[in-house]
Amino acid sequence: MPEVVQEDLCALRSKSPRDCRSNTVRVVRSGNQNDFVFKLRVQHSVPALSKRMHPHRTSASGLDGRLTRRLRWARLRYIEYGTVSRTLQAAIRLVSSVALVGAIIFVYYRVVPANSVTVALTLVLAILGVAARWGYAESIAASIAGMLGLDYFFLPPIGKLTISDPENWVALAAFLVTAVTASELSVRARHRAAETIARRQEVERLYALGQTLLLSGSVRSAARDIVNSIIRTFEMPGAVFFNQLTGEFFRSDVRGSISDEQLRRVAETGEPLIDAHAQIAIVPIRLGGQSSGSLGFVGCTLSEAALNALAYLVAIGIERAKTIEETNKAEAARQSEVLKATLLDALAHDLKTPLTSIKGAVTHLLAKPHDAEELELLTIANEEADRLNRLVVEVLEMARIDASKLHPDRAPHSIMDIIQATLKEQEESLKGRKIELHVPPALPAADVDFDFIQQVLKQLLDNATNYSLPGAPLTISAQAEGERIVVSVADEGKGIPVDEQARIFDKFYRGRAWREKVLGTGLGLSIAKGIVEAHGGKIWVTSAPGEGSVFSFAVPAFKGELVS
Amino acid sequence: MSAKILVVDDEPQIRRMMRATLSSNGYQVDEAKTGEEALEKLRSYQPDLVLLDLNMPGMGGIEACRAMREGSDVPIIILTVRNAEKEKVEALDAGADDYVSKPFGMQELMARIRAALRRIPGATEGAPHSFASDDLEIDFDGRRVRVNDKSVRLTPKEFDLLRHLVAHGGKPVPHRELLQAVWGPDYGDETDYLRVFINHLRKKIEPDPSRPKYVLTEPWVGYRFHIPEDS
Repeated sequence: MPEVVQEDLCALRSKSPRDCRSNTVRVVRSGNQNDFVFKLRVQHSVPALSKRMHPHRTSASGLDGRLTRRLRWARLRYIEYGTVSRTLQAAIRLVSSVALVGAIIFVYYRVVPANSVTVALTLVLAILGVAARWGYAESIAASIAGMLGLDYFFLPPIGKLTISDPENWVALAAFLVTAVTASELSVRARHRAAETIARRQEVERLYALGQTLLLSGSVRSAARDIVNSIIRTFEMPGAVFFNQLTGEFFRSDVRGSISDEQLRRVAETGEPLIDAHAQIAIVPIRLGGQSSGSLGFVGCTLSEAALNALAYLVAIGIERAKTIEETNKAEAARQSEVLKATLLDALAHDLKTPLTSIKGAVTHLLAKPHDAEELELLTIANEEADRLNRLVVEVLEMARIDASKLHPDRAPHSIMDIIQATLKEQEESLKGRKIELHVPPALPAADVDFDFIQQVLKQLLDNATNYSLPGAPLTISAQAEGERIVVSVADEGKGIPVDEQARIFDKFYRGRAWREKVLGTGLGLSIAKGIVEAHGGKIWVTSAPGEGSVFSFAVPAFKGELVS
Repeated sequence: MSAKILVVDDEPQIRRMMRATLSSNGYQVDEAKTGEEALEKLRSYQPDLVLLDLNMPGMGGIEACRAMREGSDVPIIILTVRNAEKEKVEALDAGADDYVSKPFGMQELMARIRAALRRIPGATEGAPHSFASDDLEIDFDGRRVRVNDKSVRLTPKEFDLLRHLVAHGGKPVPHRELLQAVWGPDYGDETDYLRVFINHLRKKIEPDPSRPKYVLTEPWVGYRFHIPEDS
């Protein structure tokens, strides 16, 4: 017997004898140091090894390709331990049961003489004990020994294995049948008890795993805890968890026996993979029909029911960790939004307060008579205060749009009303221009925030006046298109070069030809875009150099009944 | 005797600017730094008009406005850096007469101040001197209203609104006309003002404000005063 294996056997005995019980494999070594020869006699376990190696002789170097060195040693240890203990123990038990029968017969024959019925009943009792304690094979051996003993020593003719009275044939047959049947029942009861213990153990382990999962804070740590505690509580050689959401694999140290591909396939199809030969099991992790990954076991000894329960438990654990993680994230995002909004308000207040003093003072002075020079300077101060204010308002508005804090207060409004309110407000800047209006009288109401859409329209009119020649006509039109209302502002300016059309709604972008000529922040159109998009609409431009530009936006038409 | 204006703002520079410009326009001015101080000054100084900032430490503008309204019908103009529709309605709901966002031009503010101080002359030609039904009595000359024999206090703007509606004797009055008659010629688009004030008015004079019997809405047009048949 190889020395290394012996050493490992000792270590293993203290660890996990349970797992070795069913293996009976003989391992011998021959030839030189590095050349192991495996001769396997498999009873009913370690199918991975049996399938691959039995009955061939396989060298260790050949084996390397199929099993990792680590796994090979792990299995060798199990196998070796099982060989010694099982065969020896079985032999001892067989001999002991026969010896027990012999002892009973000896006592009744030599020490306390009794009739054949007493002996037979005592033997049945003993055989029941053997069956309950050891098993079927031992009790059958004891039954046969008992029958022979009973016949030889107590049934006439005594001292011979023949029977004279036919009645005794019946008695002997009854004895054998009773002993065998009782043994069978007893063994079955024992198996059931063992199974109950195993199930209870599984439940206890599932409970322990559940507790571990409840303590995990994040999905990552939950996944790690799952793998670790499965190995620990279920005493499995290895486990691997595949998190489908992140595509991560959490493996214990057995690499290779379950492939990434297998795990992925089980997670995708939802079909469990239980390979008794390869001794692996992979179950999908699903909750409410939604897959979150799969869980693989190496050297799996769990029942299918336990596997399903385990998968369900893990699914709940992962879901719980995910919920906690999402809640934390949402809370952090909310707090950051609150902080941003508070900062914006503080900024608005702090910038506008000095502007209010300046604007108030300058406009007061402007109302008084001045010479031309004073008037010019005060006008500049006033205009610049306005410009600064516009800048503050636009930057704040852009920040609100970026923070998704723009909440249009939508209601049915007539587009014509909005157009007229805007034209009235822009009266000064539109002076001297011919405005053409094309709005059908039966245009349905738009489902919009009046002030916001007025702001968009004002921006488009500003653009049209700023980027076309003074006095050039403008056209405003509106029409229903399906469930949307499209509003357009057309100018007869120079138009926008094609390469600039895509960028014109970008923040701070300003047309090349106009950067020096027109004052502005470059935010107006991106704010208009933000407002229109907050309504679920869109904004676009069509333009050809030399032929003017048409800025259009579409907003939803009001769908419900109009009630006053 | 020039009108007395109370400027309530926590920013010293704004109070300085307002004092200088308002005095120069012929008003008497006093200042308050907080909402609490404003309530105090409302009793001691007895202003004809309050210019109230919304964003103040301690008692905020809205709260101060509500507290002032409890014991006084002095016109209140809100001055604020915030410019959202929601805040405007909230301020008007708290009892303010008007709302101006900062920064503002002085000419605009002066126009608003004049509008707030202005009273529709008591007896215009052809206008009724009084109105009476089972549960509502209005004395237009004495500016008094009684509902179910109990005296009800209306702010000047609410009273003028009611008078203008009654004067049209059951005919609908368009939004713009109502605004210009009650607030002044510079107004006309502030339909949200009307909505808030009509609501206040209904709460004060209607037996069931959610189903008004006197002040009725004319959809897309304006409002009208309905004179019950039996009165």
